Amino acid sequence: MNALIISAVFGVIMMFTGIFVKQKPVTRNIAIAGVALLLLVNILEMSGIDFFKVHTAGFMLFDRFALLFNSVAFGSTLIYFILSAPDMEKVGHYYADYFALIFFILCGVVLVASFQSLLILFLGIEIISIPLYILTGSNKRNLISNEASLKYFLMGAFSTGIMLMGITLLYGATGTFDTQFMNIETEGTSALVIAGMLLLFFSMAFKVSAVPFHFWTPDVYDGCPTVFTSFMATVVKSAAFVGFIRLFYDAFGSIHDDWKLVAAIITALTLLVGNITAVFQQSVKRMLAYSSISQAGFMLLGLLALNATSKEGIILYATAYSLATIGIFAILLKMNDHSFESFNGFARQQPLLAGVNVIFLLSLAGIPLTAGFLAKFYMLKATLESGDFLWLVILAVIMAAVSVYYYFRLIQAMYFKEGDGNAIEVSPGFKLMLVIVAACLIVLGVFPNLLLNWLYF
Amino acid sequence: MIDLLQATVNSPGTTSASYLPIGLQVLFVVGLVGFLLIITHFLGPKRQTAEKLETFAGGIASHGDARQPMAINYFLVAILFVLFDVEIIFFYPYAINFRALGWDGFWAVMMFVSFFLCGFIYIIKKGALIWED
Amino acid sequence: MPINYYIILSLTLFVIGIVGVLTRRNTIIVFMCIEIMLNAVNLLLVAFSKMHHINQVATNPTAGTEAQLFVFFIMVVAAAEVSVGLAIIVMLFRNTHSIDVNFLNRLKH
Repeated sequence: MNALIISAVFGVIMMFTGIFVKQKPVTRNIAIAGVALLLLVNILEMSGIDFFKVHTAGFMLFDRFALLFNSVAFGSTLIYFILSAPDMEKVGHYYADYFALIFFILCGVVLVASFQSLLILFLGIEIISIPLYILTGSNKRNLISNEASLKYFLMGAFSTGIMLMGITLLYGATGTFDTQFMNIETEGTSALVIAGMLLLFFSMAFKVSAVPFHFWTPDVYDGCPTVFTSFMATVVKSAAFVGFIRLFYDAFGSIHDDWKLVAAIITALTLLVGNITAVFQQSVKRMLAYSSISQAGFMLLGLLALNATSKEGIILYATAYSLATIGIFAILLKMNDHSFESFNGFARQQPLLAGVNVIFLLSLAGIPLTAGFLAKFYMLKATLESGDFLWLVILAVIMAAVSVYYYFRLIQAMYFKEGDGNAIEVSPGFKLMLVIVAACLIVLGVFPNLLLNWLYF
Repeated sequence: MIDLLQATVNSPGTTSASYLPIGLQVLFVVGLVGFLLIITHFLGPKRQTAEKLETFAGGIASHGDARQPMAINYFLVAILFVLFDVEIIFFYPYAINFRALGWDGFWAVMMFVSFFLCGFIYIIKKGALIWED
Repeated sequence: MPINYYIILSLTLFVIGIVGVLTRRNTIIVFMCIEIMLNAVNLLLVAFSKMHHINQVATNPTAGTEAQLFVFFIMVVAAAEVSVGLAIIVMLFRNTHSIDVNFLNRLKH
């Protein structure tokens, strides 16, 4: 509850900061202080200190899973602000408003991660989506950005409609919006429940860009200003996944057998299409968009398995994926263009940046001793524990091997190709922050329990 | 009919027979309008001249096209109006439960209104309501 | 009246909305179709609310009210979405002087 209220208030504060404060570094520092405060109060709430005694009346449930994910989301946003906030100045004139919108998105992230009533899920998804439409179109003079925004908006509103129909049918059959009290029978489930569940499944698959519903993702990620793509592909995407898993864990856990085949097929398609298409991309930004689809495939394994290991796994996966992707995008933002060629000879110019970039890429590819490896391992372990999806595990391992190809292409460009590339200048603080992020990835890759113990103690 | 749900909504005393007056009225309305349209079409005289078919605007000769691009301010004000107008909907449940909610409800609504007011001050400060350029 | 009539009416409206979104080229009309979808949902929610209220009023006098509140939330969120959507369309119109969805094909590589 702490984080929810403070993030909403900080959104309003940032709106007025844009009017009263003209210096951009001051605005930026207020925003960074705000996210740090959010992280702090959320950690306090995990240790039992709650500032606002609000009776949530069965609408929200702040359990360890929700609070831990909130901490991960705030931590990632803090790192994102420190690394990439100066680059937001290039997008447009409304610097403080971008921060305000991101604070409102964080408010939605809290709602989605800790909902108990379907009303809160709907509100959370909308509070995340509506500011994102604006951020996607924030480069107002750029036609590509406009188009991405309109496309994202139409797809988002459409999938919201489908989701609402699902919620309604479910309400008709069960008489409640509360996921804990739906009591869906395993035998003889009514047609309304099945229809509602499938509609909810498809609309959430839209939001997390799982494969038959992924077609908007590459275009929108590509058209969106790169700073905001970084945020969209990491924090927002993992929040949607947490909501997805929470929904199916609480409401549809009892009819797991009915939908797990659909989930398995969608997971397999996501892994296949995401990885194979990523191989053929010529721009790093677009490659990362497809890589986000393929990473979504791995996170879907957690949904499919639906056990305690998969809850641990999704937290670890969200952390590993968000940190690594934010790091790569922060470096990509310093480049003049987004092609693979612009990274030629990068290692000679910026040995430190190239080194941390390698760690990020290795983590995304899932090489041992990085957090990405353990995250993938947890997902596969959860799937094996749930039984009868051995073929999917084998497919996932093969696809992880394919992903190594396109991540290593970037490493090859940095280390083994000659080129003057573009001379970029970065501050020592930026380098230090990237080194810290890379260190986090390696530490988590060796001691994942530093993070996961928070789920239990 | 597909039996999606077995439950039915039945208020006491409503059967399909109680819709008979409405059905009769619908028939009457459609019949009257159709009859009048047809009868004027056949009975009325037709004198079509260029002056008569012209758009009548207070006797002044018309010029130009009515479909001109409008100032962007209209869109902005319309969009803001939609937002602020629809938010008022949350007062309705509060109004009917005014006594039952007591002071807690009052402070909750006050919080809502103050967030609202923040938005209003924001759009004024941003100059969204200034008409003159 | 049996609830099935309401379900079929709402699903019909909903499908009209979906078909409109998938086939029409004019952004404003696509937009209206999305609104039809949302309003079909509203109608069905109110019908279900009434049904649950009548079925459970003996044990729970406030049964069914949460669906009516849900309708309010859908209306407000739809208004917020409309305002952002219209702003996006106006922005696109200023740059392209068209509101045709086919303009969106430029992003495909």
